[in-house]
Amino acid sequence: MALIDWDERFCVGIASVDYEHREMIRLINDLHEHFGGSDSVIEFLGEIYTRISAHFALEEKVMRERQYDQYADHKADHERLLDEIRDIMDDVEDRGSYQESVLADRLRSWFGDHFRTRDARLHRFLEGAGHG
Amino acid sequence: MLKIIQSAGQTVFSRLDRLFSVVFGDRANPLYHLGALGFYFFWIVAVSGIYLYIFFETSTVAAYRSIEHLTHDQWWLGGVMRSLHRYGSDAMVVVMFTHMTREFLFDRMRGPRWYSWFTGVPLLAFVYASGINGYWLVWDRLAQYIAVTTAEWLDWLPFFTEPIARNFLNEAAVSDRFFSLLSFLHIGIPLFLLLAMWIHIQRIAHARTNPPRLLAVGTLAALLVLALAFPALSQGPAKLDTVVARVGLDWFYLPLYPLIDRWGSGTVWALVGGSGLLLMVLPWLPYRKRDPVAVVSLPNCNGCGWCFADCPYSAVTLAPRSDGLPFEQEAVVNPELCIACGICVGSCPTATPFRRLTDLTPGIDLPDRNIRELRARTVAACAGLEGPARVLVYGCRHSAHADQLIEPGVTVLTVPCLAALPPSFIDFVIMRRQADGVLLAGCNRGNCHYRLGTDWTAQRLAGERDPRLRERVPRNRIEIFHGGRGWPDSLPEVLTRFRARLASLAPLNEKPPHPAAKTPEQQHGAD
Repeated sequence: MALIDWDERFCVGIASVDYEHREMIRLINDLHEHFGGSDSVIEFLGEIYTRISAHFALEEKVMRERQYDQYADHKADHERLLDEIRDIMDDVEDRGSYQESVLADRLRSWFGDHFRTRDARLHRFLEGAGHG
Repeated sequence: MLKIIQSAGQTVFSRLDRLFSVVFGDRANPLYHLGALGFYFFWIVAVSGIYLYIFFETSTVAAYRSIEHLTHDQWWLGGVMRSLHRYGSDAMVVVMFTHMTREFLFDRMRGPRWYSWFTGVPLLAFVYASGINGYWLVWDRLAQYIAVTTAEWLDWLPFFTEPIARNFLNEAAVSDRFFSLLSFLHIGIPLFLLLAMWIHIQRIAHARTNPPRLLAVGTLAALLVLALAFPALSQGPAKLDTVVARVGLDWFYLPLYPLIDRWGSGTVWALVGGSGLLLMVLPWLPYRKRDPVAVVSLPNCNGCGWCFADCPYSAVTLAPRSDGLPFEQEAVVNPELCIACGICVGSCPTATPFRRLTDLTPGIDLPDRNIRELRARTVAACAGLEGPARVLVYGCRHSAHADQLIEPGVTVLTVPCLAALPPSFIDFVIMRRQADGVLLAGCNRGNCHYRLGTDWTAQRLAGERDPRLRERVPRNRIEIFHGGRGWPDSLPEVLTRFRARLASLAPLNEKPPHPAAKTPEQQHGAD
């Protein structure tokens, strides 16, 4: 079962950003399917951390280029999310184990909340500005 | 031989840097802003020159008189402007040569940096042509001497059918039209100078053409004091029927004139031509093999532009996507401009040591000192660390001698530049407890070998520039050392203090605490 289902509402209307959103969700779902030994989970989390860092960098560039009015707030949320995934990574690595349901919940809320609120707001802005 | 000169010169400059930093502070240290000061003096000379031009009369008789009037009757403004014009020009010569000497001694003219060096050489000629041309306009005894000697010097060249020197045999030969030509040249040559200055900085990203405000204000104040204490004066009206026997020289602009008298025009032409030529080819003497330039890995590049923003040499640009992936842009390295400092690698969000699932190939990397290897070196170096207060030192290869730090519990890795180290490596080392602290040993602040490396590093660590060091990494486990030879704190002392501090810290929890700013739901999830 997928941890996060792709939803058309996740689209912000920019091809590159949407492509990376899909890739991100695919990666998180892949990780979910590979739940098992903590080593493989740590590897997956490392990959997610890398990809999400690059993705946020790109999304921030798009926001700056389109002069997004809530750039600072959105960017701060990105920074918070990056700190948080590092927390999750260190937690798993330090404990050497994890509870599947807890990690699944953490990942879902980690990624999903930002999608539902910040990215949705960005989508509305871009559409309103005629970039949709 | 060259290396010995450069090494000795670097020591001298490092000591001067330190001295000036004590006097002016790090930020306003004039030795860190020589190029910007050159621009600043240009503008001072331009503005004061425009003022002088308003009152200047372009005729043989009136030129001298009009300047005398400004100097004496309107000493409080016209006189000050004249002095600013004079001393600003002198200061420009000083900063220009100091700038050139400094870049030479620190060997910052090789590889793609040849461009700034090479385009800097003609600036010398433009500045001198402007300055010497300006001295003619005053039409005093000095001007007469310069006019005659310059004419004789130019006459040596086979271009002129009739000797120009003949023009200065008597008053009648110097026409008012000639003065119009001179003042026209005195506007034209500086305009070409400005154009050449603009060309000079074309390959420098974030070129600093304005000194910091404190330095700018202080410099202007110093020039004003000089202008009031020692106003620039004329040396009696020119009289072409008499030969100038004694005259006070401006040694910044006219050091060659006594040589023309003594050695003759041909020798001085050989000297000027030879030195100019030598300066121009200096970046290739001796020929050295270049470091391999940065390469982009498209599967790992989404065109976020961080490397583009951080490259100090405009070597990275963003181009339309070429591999069919749905991104708008991709990073492209211009090998002609890349000097392999690695700052782009330090800025790449995919250059993180936490990456293990896929091959650690970042979006941009140096082929001979890649990130995968840096991770391996980091892990290996830390594995051998024992005891309390274990420290990993990342030393910039151009800074003070990090390799002198040989003691148990300390290991040193060299990076091309501190900014070539992705901040996530610091997170990795400290939070994964590979070492208890990270010491970054870089160039002097303001004298970064790659211009912007120390600035970018400081801003990334302070969370002001991407990629930021994660906030969760305790900053008291990081120490930055800026310094070279002659700096008050030596690296070993800084290391000792740092280790004492690390020893006093409570150990990082086996399980790091979570940040306070979490929603209750997440908090619950974490438990």
